Amino acid sequence: MSDPFALTTGAPRYFLSRLNPLAKLAAVLPFMLWLLLVRDVWTPFLFLILAMVTILIGARLSWRTLLLLVAGLPAVVFVLSLSFGLWTDASRVDTTPLVFQLGEFRFFRGAWLIGLATALRLGAVLALALIPGLTTTGPDLVRASVEHLRVPYRVGYTALAAYRFVPRFRHDLDLIRQAHRVRGVSGGRGPVAGIRRALGYVVPLLAGAIRHAERVSFAMDSRAFGAHESRTERHLLPLQVRDGVFVGLFWLCGAGLLVLAAQLG
Amino acid sequence: MDSRIEVPVSVRDVRIRHDRRQRHTPDGVSFDIAPGDVTLLLGPSGCGKSTLALALNGLIPHAVPARLTGSVLTGGIDTADATVARLSEKVAMVFQDPDAQIVTGSLLDEVCFGPENLLLPVEVVLARAEEALRAVGLWERRADNPDVLSGGGRQRLSIACALAMRSPLLVLDEPTANLDPAGIDEVYAVLRELTRSSHLSILLIEHNLDAAIDLVDRVIVLDRQGRIAIDGSTREVLADRAEEVAAHGVWLPVATLAALRLRRVGVEFARLPLTGGELSEALDGIRSLPALPSPVPRVRSQVPAVAVRQLSVTRGKKRVLDDVSLDIPDGDFTAVIGTNGAGKTTLVQAIAGVVPPPRGRVRVGGLDPATTDVRALAAHVGFVFQNPEHQFVENTVESELSRGLRGAGRHPSPPTAEIEATVSAMLERFGLADLRDVHPFLLSGGQKRRLSVGTVLVTGAPVLVLDEPTFGQDRERADELLGLLSELNRAGRTIVTATHDLQLVAEHATSVAVLAAGRLLAYGPTAEILGDSELIARAGLRPPPLARALRGVTRHPEWQSITRIADLPGGLA
Repeated sequence: MSDPFALTTGAPRYFLSRLNPLAKLAAVLPFMLWLLLVRDVWTPFLFLILAMVTILIGARLSWRTLLLLVAGLPAVVFVLSLSFGLWTDASRVDTTPLVFQLGEFRFFRGAWLIGLATALRLGAVLALALIPGLTTTGPDLVRASVEHLRVPYRVGYTALAAYRFVPRFRHDLDLIRQAHRVRGVSGGRGPVAGIRRALGYVVPLLAGAIRHAERVSFAMDSRAFGAHESRTERHLLPLQVRDGVFVGLFWLCGAGLLVLAAQLG
Repeated sequence: MDSRIEVPVSVRDVRIRHDRRQRHTPDGVSFDIAPGDVTLLLGPSGCGKSTLALALNGLIPHAVPARLTGSVLTGGIDTADATVARLSEKVAMVFQDPDAQIVTGSLLDEVCFGPENLLLPVEVVLARAEEALRAVGLWERRADNPDVLSGGGRQRLSIACALAMRSPLLVLDEPTANLDPAGIDEVYAVLRELTRSSHLSILLIEHNLDAAIDLVDRVIVLDRQGRIAIDGSTREVLADRAEEVAAHGVWLPVATLAALRLRRVGVEFARLPLTGGELSEALDGIRSLPALPSPVPRVRSQVPAVAVRQLSVTRGKKRVLDDVSLDIPDGDFTAVIGTNGAGKTTLVQAIAGVVPPPRGRVRVGGLDPATTDVRALAAHVGFVFQNPEHQFVENTVESELSRGLRGAGRHPSPPTAEIEATVSAMLERFGLADLRDVHPFLLSGGQKRRLSVGTVLVTGAPVLVLDEPTFGQDRERADELLGLLSELNRAGRTIVTATHDLQLVAEHATSVAVLAAGRLLAYGPTAEILGDSELIARAGLRPPPLARALRGVTRHPEWQSITRIADLPGGLA
């Protein structure tokens, strides 16, 4: 796992890392919402391309992430398009050409296109979310929200502290699993037994979590957390001209693609 | 600055009762802390030491549901009238668990967190952070994520965060209970330097007296009721009134304990020693010492209870255990020691089948944990986890104990008279008879620990395996558990435990296995292993305090190899 807290010192050409986290969110959010409403194939396809190009130009990626983005994401979209296609009611699309037939089951191109539209929509929303997602750290998002969106810093920093709980919970859960297995809590196979097992982990996990949370809050209070209405911020994340330029350009491109998609569709 | 020196904290008739508890702990406590003093607060578990610490910066009553009567004046401010945030400029806190004190993602951000909350200008924040990080030797690592530090490193970071508050008083509540010996040394090296170079007042709650003793100026002892029993300078309290202190259920430095024992057989001490150096000096000044008791020859069984053959375990790319072979004799008490990451936990987990080892490498009671069903294995070997809560799966103490006897979990057979008798005996044995219908999570810490051992014993497993059972516990509780294990061991059970507390090992274990970087360096009788200082150093460990002290006795060479108090003259034999 990469370190979500590590200082990101992006080289100048990776412009996404230097933008304000809120600008990146503002750029992509309207289109993410719009994509939830469209039904055609072209709109999500074009936005998937736009998002990928933006990330490839503007973000520093590891080889692994790069491979996942360029090969993994399209592959997932393809597989999803087939499986969503299988769910489609065949009687609605049986006028379109037949793609393949397995015994009684016939798969029409129309079904695949409906599946593809859904899969592309998911892929495009995900790819757009990755523009801020791959280039923003949690702490920066919190700082920017506190600075510009009037999110109370007590809420923001508590969320950050909670972020640190995750690895600890994972470790605790592993131990509890081991302990319960040793005590003979197997309860058989299948989803019902699985749920029963999981419920058994809840009490010890919560007991530990509540104690831990209380200790963390004591430690924060003891260091003057919440003393004043605001606190000193060493890293200011001002909204700059380039943030406005980025949002404007991205919106312009997006609007262009919407027009293009309408003509193609 | 104010011309008169302010008293960092002044406590008057303080009684604190947690909501839904009957007793007041502490109960009517008064003391002042003088500027620049290091005060050690001692007392048996449950006497209210930590509660008192939380009252000093206003967490009680402002954040903890509890009632406080009397008054606490911290830096001249009555804590009842001020917020915790405001009081943080008068008193800084360091708690036991380093992981529960870290909020941000880099060392520098972490140290800046407090001053930033105080709304100080950026330059001041950074200046304070640099000074604090330099004081604990972490300035060079300021860009690191705290997660990559060792336990000792993270606790040093917590101290730096406290220093950055620039409060005249620093309160440390069991700062080393969660650390390994190397971490304990790191923390005390930092504190020693601080007391030398600053006028900071320190209130310390610590059970590891051997580590802390040389920097303490004054000792306050609370009794079981939470009242001040003794208050005076370190020497007055711990040396001159040692027996009285011990009677309150408080641990003494190991040198003092050894001297008390020797005094019973007529060894005269002008003044009881507090440190290892003082003990060896005192013994060197005595012309003839009583004869050492001849060690009771312990017959080691030839039958192995646990046999490990060429066990290697790889996790990810790292080899955690590397070709380990050992036979643990039937009826032995074996301690597995080593630094963090040496493979202790992996070894004991493999022995008990908690994480199944590769096939054919481990045998326990004729079974291979790799291929044996959990239930069948439970009749031969039991595993006690570090946190007792993790292994509780039932809703009452009684069913927790009877579970192992009832057969398959999904369709439990009704409790028979035989099961009932076994469970009752077990409840009686562990002092839980009054609590049979209570939910396990509602027990006290010590009761939980006893129950967790009980649930494992009830199936009659002849081998009991434990992983760091005393981690994060106070001395009294650790001692209670070890006493219990020794008793079980005398009754014939084989005990295998991973631990980093070498004095505990010295007092209780019959054999010691030393691991370093996944390899078994040595396995043999305790005295032999702990007496081999070259071996202990090779494993990255330090000999236990008593061994260190007696090694310095030049006049009586035969005393140099003693590692445990039980081997000194003066026993009840």
